[in-house]
Parts: sequence; structure tokens; C-alpha cells
Amino acid sequence: MKRSHIIALVIIAVAMAAFIATLADSSTFVDLTEAKARPGKEFKVKGYLDKSAPVEYEPIVNANLTTFTLVDDQGEKCLVRLAKAKPYDFERSESIVLTGSVNARGEFEARDMLMKCPSKYNEMQGVDALGVEG
Amino acid sequence: MLATVGCAIGAQGRSEAWTALGRLSFRLHSIAVLGIVATLFVMLFNHWFEYDYVWKHSNLQMPLKYIASCFWEGQEGSFLLWTFWHVVLGNILLMRARSWEPHVMTVIALVQVFLAFMLIGVYVGEWRVGSSPFLLLREAADNIGLPWTQMSGYLSLDEFKDGRGLNPLLQNYWMVIHPPTLFLGFAATLVPFAYAIAGLWRQERTEWMKLALPWTFFGVMVLGTGILMGGAWAYEALSFGGFWAWDPVENASLVPWITLVAAGHLMLVNKRKPSSLFSAFCLTLVTFILVLYSTFLTRSGVLGDTSVHSFTGDGMLPALVRFLLIFIGIAAAMLHPERKQRALYLGLSLALLIIGLAFAIEVEAILLFGLLTALHLFQAYRKGFSSKDPEEALWSREFWLFIASLVLLLSAAQITFSTSIPVTNLMLAPFKQIFASLGERTGWEFLSKLSNDGLAPPSEAIAHYNRWQTPFAIIISLLVAFTIHLRWKQDGLKRMLRQIAVSIIISALIAGISFALLGYEAHELQQAMLLFTTVFAFVANAAYFGTVLKGRLKSAGPTVAHMGFALVLLGALISTGRKEEASTNTRSMDLRLLNEGFNNSKEILLYRGDTTRMGGFYVHYAQKRADGANLKYEMEYFAVAPRRYGQDDTVRFGGTLFRARADHEAGPEFLAQQPQFWEALERYNKRDLWHARPWSPTMPGEKLFDLAPVIQLNKRMGNVPEPSTRHWLTHDLYTHLRYAEMALDPDTLPDGTVTADDAWMPNRRYEKQAGDSIVTPTSLVIIDSVYTIQDSATKAMLGDRFTVRAAALRIRDLYEPDRWFEARPLVIYADGQPVMGKAAEVDALRIRYSLATNDGDQLGLDVAEREFVVMQALIFPGINILWIGCVLLALGTGMAVWQRLRNN
Repeated sequence: MKRSHIIALVIIAVAMAAFIATLADSSTFVDLTEAKARPGKEFKVKGYLDKSAPVEYEPIVNANLTTFTLVDDQGEKCLVRLAKAKPYDFERSESIVLTGSVNARGEFEARDMLMKCPSKYNEMQGVDALGVEG
Repeated sequence: MLATVGCAIGAQGRSEAWTALGRLSFRLHSIAVLGIVATLFVMLFNHWFEYDYVWKHSNLQMPLKYIASCFWEGQEGSFLLWTFWHVVLGNILLMRARSWEPHVMTVIALVQVFLAFMLIGVYVGEWRVGSSPFLLLREAADNIGLPWTQMSGYLSLDEFKDGRGLNPLLQNYWMVIHPPTLFLGFAATLVPFAYAIAGLWRQERTEWMKLALPWTFFGVMVLGTGILMGGAWAYEALSFGGFWAWDPVENASLVPWITLVAAGHLMLVNKRKPSSLFSAFCLTLVTFILVLYSTFLTRSGVLGDTSVHSFTGDGMLPALVRFLLIFIGIAAAMLHPERKQRALYLGLSLALLIIGLAFAIEVEAILLFGLLTALHLFQAYRKGFSSKDPEEALWSREFWLFIASLVLLLSAAQITFSTSIPVTNLMLAPFKQIFASLGERTGWEFLSKLSNDGLAPPSEAIAHYNRWQTPFAIIISLLVAFTIHLRWKQDGLKRMLRQIAVSIIISALIAGISFALLGYEAHELQQAMLLFTTVFAFVANAAYFGTVLKGRLKSAGPTVAHMGFALVLLGALISTGRKEEASTNTRSMDLRLLNEGFNNSKEILLYRGDTTRMGGFYVHYAQKRADGANLKYEMEYFAVAPRRYGQDDTVRFGGTLFRARADHEAGPEFLAQQPQFWEALERYNKRDLWHARPWSPTMPGEKLFDLAPVIQLNKRMGNVPEPSTRHWLTHDLYTHLRYAEMALDPDTLPDGTVTADDAWMPNRRYEKQAGDSIVTPTSLVIIDSVYTIQDSATKAMLGDRFTVRAAALRIRDLYEPDRWFEARPLVIYADGQPVMGKAAEVDALRIRYSLATNDGDQLGLDVAEREFVVMQALIFPGINILWIGCVLLALGTGMAVWQRLRNN
């Protein structure tokens, strides 16, 4: 066997391992219903902030806990305990992605959160209304 | 513009006359591009908000120096910047490429055509090709059909008098230089690509490398610098706490750099002996394709939910995909030595593209295209590149350079896999059912994962990448250390070992000392190994410079660059691996009593005016100032000094009051000193205990420095925190605000100092009755009674119109047992209306109670804490090693390029 063949084999092996490991490490996007169906298992959940429910953050008591209610695309709601400080402009967020799992009490314990801020065109709708009036 | 470039393609490669025409049209194209760039700048400078691009990316208050950042903030501007660099490089090639000019320029012109498509912004039927930066507001896609676009005077609407401004994060000087550098680096990868294609075209399969090499390493230098500038920006302006977060956008620029480095090294190998030509070609071609791929990843919106700063799609996905596929097709086709095969392959690919488009099965078509390409490449390798030559010597430089390039390729592949998960989702979509059924039958979880189109990137992204990239880095730095000591074309194991023996010993010593200093433990074997190998890489290259090159700077470029590379890795390793949270658990209060959540707290809570111990400092939150659009939170840092107590001082310790017997300096332990210096008081007033200060061994010493983390206020884009960092030679202290009250008193003093009124957090109102109790975050309040103050002095002073109501409150500290306070907030009523109040402050609890309303037993009580911020402070040790490494890396590569140009 030529040396180059050995090298090729090693490379293919490492590449396969990397690919499979990446898949194994990857998490999955689910909706709240499924996350609730499998408590304790870590998922990513997409949704948006329920603005009718309170957002609670008491830095004096715990600077790393924010609680709020998430609504997913199906309209399912869930109380979220985010283990982070309340992000700036949280109330203005448009959509959020949470990483975490549902606990025994049916709350979503989020370890991490990614927040998308309002899309650039929100104000345009405002202008739209203004144009109609004027 | 399109026409000129189109001409260039058709022209080049045939006869002199055609070449001349091509040259002329490229020149015309250059002038056109320069004109466009200049026009956009003029538009931005003059704030012509009728243009969509200007309105979206700039505004009137912005400092002039950031106009440049506006230029490339948007999709269109950054494409324009890229095009501009291609023009610059193209013109240099026009002058320097001589006989290679027609071929090379054809490739470059072709790329320019596609980039121009991205900018042209015309509609072909329903399908918009690219988007132009010169769109008027009323023509912008999102606005078409909105009623105001019909109005003639819409520019006088308030919304359009000023632009929306630049994203506050980008208003940073790094953002002025980072994008142009990065895009110059991207542009530079095109040149080796063009040369490689030209080499295949002319059937001169080794000649091109000599010409492409300086460009390749120029690209390595510029792209590398650009990436690290991005890191510097992230470190200074973003608050994710570091310079690198393995964000898809960062990865997308890192991967082409890695493959470019690998390609460059393979060219070095093959210039001497064409033993791995195929790999050299592939890597060179792949680098540029990866640049296109990264453009696709970051610009098409495909990353969507996985990246913080991905661009929105703007409907560019189809165009970008086709752009990418066409270049993959061209590159793969050219690799085959036979014309017939090339034509066959291109024909099949085109057919697939058309079928895919016609029947809307593009994903399948793309996958088939991938398969076809793989087959084609395999055949190309068999026909054109497999050699029967004896293999190179095992311990020769070329063999190990080859290995190093492959390791780099693997590392790049791993990053690409993980970053491309959203793309994988798209590609796997048609096969979901197959995977699902396979998964059910075999019970393998990863198969069912594949069937789920909700595949998301690793949730511990940083850990995931670090775990994979650390071994790669270990191997690479080992190779960097010894390969340079090997000779070309010879077996030189013994010689190499002789040369590196001393370096190994020295590095082992340094690494050993560092382990001890930095406290590495057994479970951090990988990190420790990387520390050793990077030190070894540095030392071995330094030794090479000293002993073999005898200090000759002329040919030291590669050595210096390798030393720099080793330092970058080392700096990254130490600063991230040994990052410390200085703000952990540092309040004078015992935080475990507060809340179990505080045990893991990474943040410190600072009340305005308080001085708190944090790590090796005392921090004093002095004041909040408005500075333009920024709110500065000024923190003063003091040294930690031992506390001195004087005779008869009283302190509180564990619920008992003590009095000092004599003047003394506090030791670390109270109990050790207590018998000698402190007398426990047996009889004392409870109130004295509640108000006494707790014993502490240290106090703030001399003032050391100030830091002022910032919150940038921006109504449109949201408020953004910016860190403030103190630099030392060996480490940095990095602080940023996690939570802060942004309200400013409207009567801020002219110099920006905030008056005392907003020294309190916003009030919380509690509607209660006498006898009720309230739990606030720090206190328990019992409302004993509400009563009218009726003493004669008050009556005489206020007259009959006014009544004064007061609440008697008893307040308990929630976190210290049996620590009570009293408060008497007042409210003054005039003819039944509350007109004024007097709040009661409990300084020890940093809290204020005010009586807002009172009606019989009903009362409205406002409670506010003293204004505070939540801050995170990190210590990054050894970050300067990283920055020095960056400079050396750029410098060394630059030296190597210079040397090569002179030799050519």
C-alpha cells in the first residue's frame, strides 16, 4: 500500500468523524408542543415575546434571571426562565430563538437566547399610515 | 458597465487586436466603477436622503469619519467595495501579467460581470437581478405601492428629513478599516484562482505557480489582517466578551484564509517538484469558491436564525446560488485535461441547471450536479494527475508541507460543515422521508436527526469548535515547528532532530513554567499540549532564524510569519482558556444568603456612590454622564489596601457588635484577631447594631484608573452597550454593562453631569392598607399605621389649607436576620389633592420609600432602589501575545511577498 493511500484513508476517516460528530453535536429546532412533550431534553425553540404577559427581571435578587412568556408560531405559550440578564430593548424584539429545555414544572429553562430586533421596515408602515392621512 | 465587461470576456484570448479591445474595455469598466464609488460617496457626504441607500445607512448627526462605514454597511455598498478592489488588482495585472494577461483577465472580467449583476438592480420579468445602491426611496422594493410614493413632496415628510443612521455597533474606527481590508483579502484570492485557471487553459501546469505565489501570500497577509481586525472590533465594541465567537460570519472569512494558506504552501511544494499538483490546483480553486460560498452564506439570508449579524436576504439567494454553481462548474471543468470531457461536463451541468429550473426541482438538480462534479474530478485526477513517480522522501520538507496543507484543509472542512448546517437542511429537504424511515429501521439517532429539517447549529457552538479545532491546532503548530528544519527533496530526520533538540528543551521549560503560573490541571491536557506546541513552534522558528539563517532578515519572512502564527494561537489559547470573571461573587454581602442563583453569578451589582470589592480592585460607581448619543457610566478603580481600625471603632460581625481595643491593621481573618483587638459588646442599642458597618479586612486604597463602559442610545436600532477595557502588558480588564437604567434627568447639567434626581431607579407603586406588608427585592416592609401630623409647629407653618399625612413603616433587611429600620414618609395634601411628599431613605439598604397617596387606610407607597448597574468584568490574560502575533504574522508574510517579487 502506498503512503498516499494511507494518508487518503486517514483523511477520509477524520472527515467522516467530523461530519458525524457535527450532526451529533447539533441540536434541533422544535416547537413548544414537542419541547413540552420531552422535558429535560435540550432543544432550540423559535418564537416571539408575549407582550401581554409581564417580563420580570429583578437584578437585585438575581442578576441572571429573566422570566417572560414565549409564544411559538403555533400560538402555544410557555413561561420561560432565561438564565441571563434581560437584554437591552427586549420588549422591542421581533423574534427570539431559545436554547434550553422544559423542566418538571413545564417551564422552559433557557440557557441562551438569540434575539432578532425589528426589521428595518417597521417604520415604513408608520410612514404608510401617515401618507394616508396627509 | 455591463457591456464593457462583456466585451472583455469575448475578446481576450484570441489575437492581439481582441486583446487590445479587451484591455480597453476593462479600463473603461474601471473608470465606470470608480465613478460609481465616487458618486455614492458624494451622495453620502451631502446627505441626499431621497436615495434609499443614503437614507437607510446614514444620518445628519453622524461624525464625518464614519461616512466610510456607511458606504459598506449595506449589501450593495459591500459588493461595490469588492468590485472596486477587483478593479484595482485587475489594473495591476494589466501592467504586470505580460503573456498571461489575456487568460487571467478573462477570468477576472467574468467575475466582474457577475458582481455587476448583483449591483445592477433591473427586473427581468418578476425576477430582480441584484440591487442597486442608487434606488430612490420611492422605488425601493418595500415601498412600492405605499401611498406616499405618489406624493410629489414626500421628501418633506419628517421621516425623510434625516436618514436612519448607521448601526451604532459599526460606529467604531475598526469598522472604517476592517471591511476594506477584508474585501481586499477576498479580492486577492481571485488572482491565484485566475492564474490557476489560466495555467490549465494554457496547459502550463506548473508555470502559473511562480506568478501566483506572491499574490497568494499577499492574500494571506491582507485577509489574515482583515479577519483579526474584525476580532479587534468585536473585542472593543461588541459585548460578547472576547474577540472570537465562531460566529458563522467570522467562520465564513476564516475558512478561505485557511485554504489559501494551504494552497500557498502546496504551490511552494509543487514549484520545485510537481508531486501534488492536483491538490495545489484544487486548493487554489477551492479558496476562491469558498469566498463565493461565504458571500452566499452571509448575504443570502440562509443563515437566518443562526447568526447574530447575518444580513437579510433581499431576495438574492437564487442569484448567489447560480453565481456560485457556475464558478464551481468552470473550475471543475478546467481541471480535466481533455477538451471533450470538459465540454461534456459543462453540457451536462447546464442541462441539469435548466431541468432544475424548469421543473422546480433545483435542490435535486444541485445534488446531482455535485455528484457529477465529484465523478468528473475523479476522472480528471486519473487522466491528468496521477503519477507513477516514486514517492517523495519521508523526512523531506515537501512531504510534511503536503501533510500540513491537508490538515489545514480538514480543519477548514470541519468549520464549513458546522457552519453550513442551515444549508444542509435545505439540501436534505427532499430526502426527509427516506432518512426518517431509515432512522426508524436502524434506530440510529443521527439518521432521524437528518430527517428533521429543524437541524440547528451546535448549541454549545464555541465549545464545539474549540473541541475540534484544538487538535488541528496542535498538529499544525507541531508541523510549523519542525517542517522548516527539514530540507527539500532529502531525507533529513537526523539533521532535523539535531536542530530542534535544544528548542524542545527550551519550550518544555517555558511550557512547564507556564503550566505552573497559569494553573493548568490534568483534565486540560489538550490545552496544555497546545500551549507546549505553540511555544515550541515559536522557539523552533526563532532558532531557525538564529542558527540556520544566521539572522539574515532578507529570507526571514516565512520564519517571522510562522512565529507570529504561533503567537496568535498561543495568545488565543491563554486569553480564552484563562479568562477570568473578575466580577464573580464580590459583593460585601454574602451572596449565598441572597439567592442560590448568585453562586454562579458572573455579574456584579454596583449601586451609584458605592464602593465595592471586585477581584483585585475596589470599584466605585461615581456617576452617569451623557456624552452625545452615549451614556457613560463612570467607574473609578482603587487598589485594595488593608483596612485600619482605630480605637473604639465599632463593627458588626455575625450579628454581634464589637468595639476595637486599640489601633490596628486588619488581618485576613476576623476570628484570628478578635481576642487581641476586638471586644464584644454585651449591652448595646439594637439600632447601633443595625446601622453598624460589617467588619472587612480591606478598604479602597489609592485610586488607580477610571473606566467608563458606555451605552449608546439609538432609538431606531436599539440601545447598545459598549465595553470599556483597561490594558496592561500582561492582561486586560474588560468591563461591560449587562443592565443599566438609561433614563436621564431632563435637567441634565450643561456639562453632561446627571443631577441627583435620577440617582434612583424608577418607583414601584404598591397600593396597600395600613397593617399590610410588602416584600420588595431587598426589604420586607410592614405598614404599621397612617396618621395625620397634627403638632402645632406644623400647623403654624403650613396653615389650614394643608394636611400632612405620614406612614409609619417598619422595614426588615431581607438578607440579614433581625436587622430592622424605621421610615416615616410624608405626603402633603392641599384641598384634598396631594401636592408634595417627603421621601424616607434608608441608606443602609439603599432604598427610598415615598408616600404618594393616602385616603383613610388606603395608601399608595412608592419604593425605589438607589440607581444601580449590573456589570460584567473579565480578565483576559496574555491577549497582547495575540496582537503581537498578528503584527508578526502580517509583517513576516509581507516580507516573504516582497522577497518573492524581487526574485521573480
